[in-house]
Amino acid sequence: MQYFMQLLISGLAIGAIYGLIAMGFAVIYKSTGLVNFAQGEMTMITAYIAWTISTTVSGNVFVVALGAILAAVVLGLIIERVVMRPMLGEPVFATVMVTIGLAVILRSSINFIWDAYPHGLDVGFGRSIVRIGPIGVRTGQIAVIVTLLVLLAVIWAFFRYSKIGVAMRAVAADDRTALLMGISATRVHALAWAASSVIAGIGGVFFALSYDLSPAMFQLGLKAFPATILGGLDAVLGSGLGGLLIGITENLAGGYIGSGMKEVAGFAMIIVVLMVRPFGIFGERDIERV
Amino acid sequence: MRTGDFKQTYGELVTLVDSPPVWLWSALLVAGLIVAPFVLNSYVLSFLIIILITVVGALGLNILTGYTGLISLGHVGFLVTGAYAYAILVSKYQMHPLVGFLGAGLVPALASLIVGAPSLRLKGLYLAITTLAFSFIINTVILEARWLTNGARGISVQRPEIFGISFDSDAAFTYLCLGFAVLTLFATLNIRRSRVGRAFVAIRDNDTAARVMGINLHAYKLFAFVTSAFITGLAGALYGIYLSFVSVEGFPFLLSIEALAILIVGGLGSALGAVLGTILIVLLPEATRLVFSLFSAQIDAVFTTGAQELKSMLYGLVIILFLRFQPRGLVGAWHDLRRMWVNWPLRY
Repeated sequence: MQYFMQLLISGLAIGAIYGLIAMGFAVIYKSTGLVNFAQGEMTMITAYIAWTISTTVSGNVFVVALGAILAAVVLGLIIERVVMRPMLGEPVFATVMVTIGLAVILRSSINFIWDAYPHGLDVGFGRSIVRIGPIGVRTGQIAVIVTLLVLLAVIWAFFRYSKIGVAMRAVAADDRTALLMGISATRVHALAWAASSVIAGIGGVFFALSYDLSPAMFQLGLKAFPATILGGLDAVLGSGLGGLLIGITENLAGGYIGSGMKEVAGFAMIIVVLMVRPFGIFGERDIERV
Repeated sequence: MRTGDFKQTYGELVTLVDSPPVWLWSALLVAGLIVAPFVLNSYVLSFLIIILITVVGALGLNILTGYTGLISLGHVGFLVTGAYAYAILVSKYQMHPLVGFLGAGLVPALASLIVGAPSLRLKGLYLAITTLAFSFIINTVILEARWLTNGARGISVQRPEIFGISFDSDAAFTYLCLGFAVLTLFATLNIRRSRVGRAFVAIRDNDTAARVMGINLHAYKLFAFVTSAFITGLAGALYGIYLSFVSVEGFPFLLSIEALAILIVGGLGSALGAVLGTILIVLLPEATRLVFSLFSAQIDAVFTTGAQELKSMLYGLVIILFLRFQPRGLVGAWHDLRRMWVNWPLRY
């Protein structure tokens, strides 16, 4: 039982990180209709910038957090303006391939700007262990679960009540009508990229806090795919919850079946889920009329 | 005055080539490729071999992504199954190399049924991600099935000997690859102009309309998967023989992206495009290295230390630039160039 609880807690913690990145996917999909294959790489770059701030400027938690968020916003805006906006109006396949190209470039640039060795992000927080009953949990793990839950609530309220949130939903539903109603699609896209970069970046920084920073971190993006597919590509909240589910499944499979299963449990799960519900658990069904 | 290229009968529309000079040029190209192994040194020959092998793989993916419009991010999965099927049959069980090649096609084709069947309900990006999932699952299965695949240690493969002809030397192996490349090229060109190929393109252009016209979507999508996996598996076997060692590390995920890059750069849905794209993408890192080494030795040093990173950065950049400025690929550019005098002053 204790083993099970231990697996469950660490599954929730890693699942919360997947969930954050998956929400990044969903925010972009919801407002632009694209899957951003460079999400994992953007996450990795934000985490590396956070590490650079912590080693060069100050190791204070708030300085690092603020710096990382600002960096993520700038990264998202630059990518949207330079790479994605010229592709506006092109077919989805072409635009998605552009994000794949972008992913390859960002991934290789890590080795040029930083190096290929693993680093620990140390902000004097996150690595100490708290005991809840018989189970030891790292403070960073608790923090990431709490952050995910808070962000889920904030984003739900944002899409439900704020004017910008409603505008984003309008662009997602029908960009032409939204344009006619006076919503600037480009501004909504820019905002979506910035928001997605920040949400996923937070996940990346937490990953660096609890584990280590390395050029293999882009694989987080691949791991978050099952999460967002499970929740539904257009369901932001569903993607967050999907992340938790994938994290738990992965850890339980790794703990009880074998370490090889841990790597692919998420992927195996989405193949099964997609057979039953091709649009994810919380995704909206796409109805075609002829 | 000739104002364009007009087809008057249905037969003209589906001929293999639309003008006799193309036959002449193709024959000259093949003759050149047959002479090439005698003339070229081994360094240049290695590029020729890689191009020929990659052409086979790219043509395989072209059937699925180019003709049928199903995006696959998991083609490296078929590549690695093909390579392992050949290695296990020939190196481990001492079967005839031809049996090995047959297995290298059939095993991925069977695997494609497993991944294709659940994919029939999926569209677009959901399908792309399912194929991605498949390629990761395949890698784990191979690593776990140690009794069959030696796990992470891999299997070493000898160059084959078929009917007394040894393909041990690089020159002989080039002929083997050339044979496969030419056969695949003819096979895909003929698929494209047959009833099946027309059904594929109809599904790509508008699947609802295709269904209304009486095309069995499930059957044709599965057929596209199987054919594509068969050809890609052959390319995998050839690549495994070329590397003389088959392991999961030899087939990184980047190969899937490279294959898509080839199709985009060449021009989606065109066999000629797949060939042109392969030549460009395979030679790109080498060409860039040559250009930079002319300028300074310092940049050359960066190439030797960060060669792999620079290579993948170039892929990324080339994919983005082509999608942005020449979405129809090299084939589109070639068509415009060919008709430049006819269409002048219009661009196309």
